[in-house]
Amino acid sequence: MTHSKIVTRLIELLENLVSSVEDFDAETGLVGDAGLESIQVIEYLCEVEDDFDIVIDEEALSYVNTVGDLAETILKITDGKVL
Amino acid sequence: MEIPINPTGTIITEVVSASEAIIDGQLKIMAGTNNYLGLTFDTDCVTAGQQALLESGTGTTGSRMANGTYQQHLDLEREIAEFFDCSYGMVFSTGYSANIGMLTALLNAEDSVLVDSEGHASLFDGCRMSGAKIYRFKHNDPEGLRKRLSRLGEAGKDALIVVEGLYSVRGDCAPLKEYVDVKNEFGSYLMVDEAHSLGLYGENGRGLAEEEGVSKEVDFIVGTFSKSLGSIGGFCVSNHSELSLVRYASRPYIFTASPSPSIIATTRQALKKIKNCPELREIVWSNAKLLHSGLSQLGFPIGTGVSPVIGIPFEDRECALTYWQNLFNKGVYTNLILPPAAPDGGSLIRCSVTAAHSRDQIRFILDAFEAIKNC
Repeated sequence: MTHSKIVTRLIELLENLVSSVEDFDAETGLVGDAGLESIQVIEYLCEVEDDFDIVIDEEALSYVNTVGDLAETILKITDGKVL
Repeated sequence: MEIPINPTGTIITEVVSASEAIIDGQLKIMAGTNNYLGLTFDTDCVTAGQQALLESGTGTTGSRMANGTYQQHLDLEREIAEFFDCSYGMVFSTGYSANIGMLTALLNAEDSVLVDSEGHASLFDGCRMSGAKIYRFKHNDPEGLRKRLSRLGEAGKDALIVVEGLYSVRGDCAPLKEYVDVKNEFGSYLMVDEAHSLGLYGENGRGLAEEEGVSKEVDFIVGTFSKSLGSIGGFCVSNHSELSLVRYASRPYIFTASPSPSIIATTRQALKKIKNCPELREIVWSNAKLLHSGLSQLGFPIGTGVSPVIGIPFEDRECALTYWQNLFNKGVYTNLILPPAAPDGGSLIRCSVTAAHSRDQIRFILDAFEAIKNC
């Protein structure tokens, strides 16, 4: 799975938490733009972990601000082998 | 919105009793403390503290590794271990340092630790300071924990799982039996922070693990003396002999002055009270049921689970602030919890009851809630 496909899937997963994802892209900030509250970030990340069948440790998440950052992290964790 | 009193900077000018204080020049019923068994003014505890002050002075002036280990510290460690029916006990200067001290000693950068997402800050701080890989799982979600341990593979086998017993904001309890099942499935280790459940749950007041019948399956129980025991300090008890080695690896233990003799004395006396006065638990639970029932009847969305801690959710912070201020004006002090501290991302008023509250005081609290219900 490519970075852009992961971004697309991550935005789909955001649909459960925000009213509209119409303008979202890789540059969308999870807190600043998507407007996720801290508890929603945790819920979202748990959903992402389940969807991609991975676990993301807190240190890796410290570099994540945008949807694109999260996609990059997922690629790193899976060594590019996301199905 | 102008708030005359800073909800997070309340100054108590006089403590009148275990359930009353003077704030801003007025008597308030304290419905936002952790003094669950109401022992802060217990005559035996106060006398024990006074006696220790006279006999051993105001402080130890040293750490446990230097001149700060008195016989009383060792006695308390033995007594807290015996209380929990564990082989080993260790006392820290605060509950916060107990969690930091245990987690930094047990974990290193090669380890994985899985923490309930609503765990106390001290648990996350300790995990971060240890350098271990930290994985959060959803609050009270054993299946989410199981999935994450499964994905970790080999790393999950000796991972540490960290949860609390009674959660201090919403007053909900961890599903400890299910966590033990998961822990046993993967061969992981389980630490339970019983800070808020000690003295309240279990036949002997040992906490939620005792209540759930899983005490022997919990690897490390940590907690504090600053809630039901009405003192200050922290502890860890375990049947793992390695706990003895933690003394040599735990910087918060090594580099902090040990608890003062009067603190140790009041804590030991309060521990005896938990053991010998089960009626205190009966009173606090009776008060908890009265408050829960009353708030439910008033229509507050507090769920069905009864505990001495009740978190009342509000949709926005303005509404919560108004409620908190109005309750305060009616003579009731509660805890206001705003984002990001509130676990659900909203705002909460935390209300707690103790064995020191009279039935009339609980009714006074309910009357205050009723009076401001529609404000």
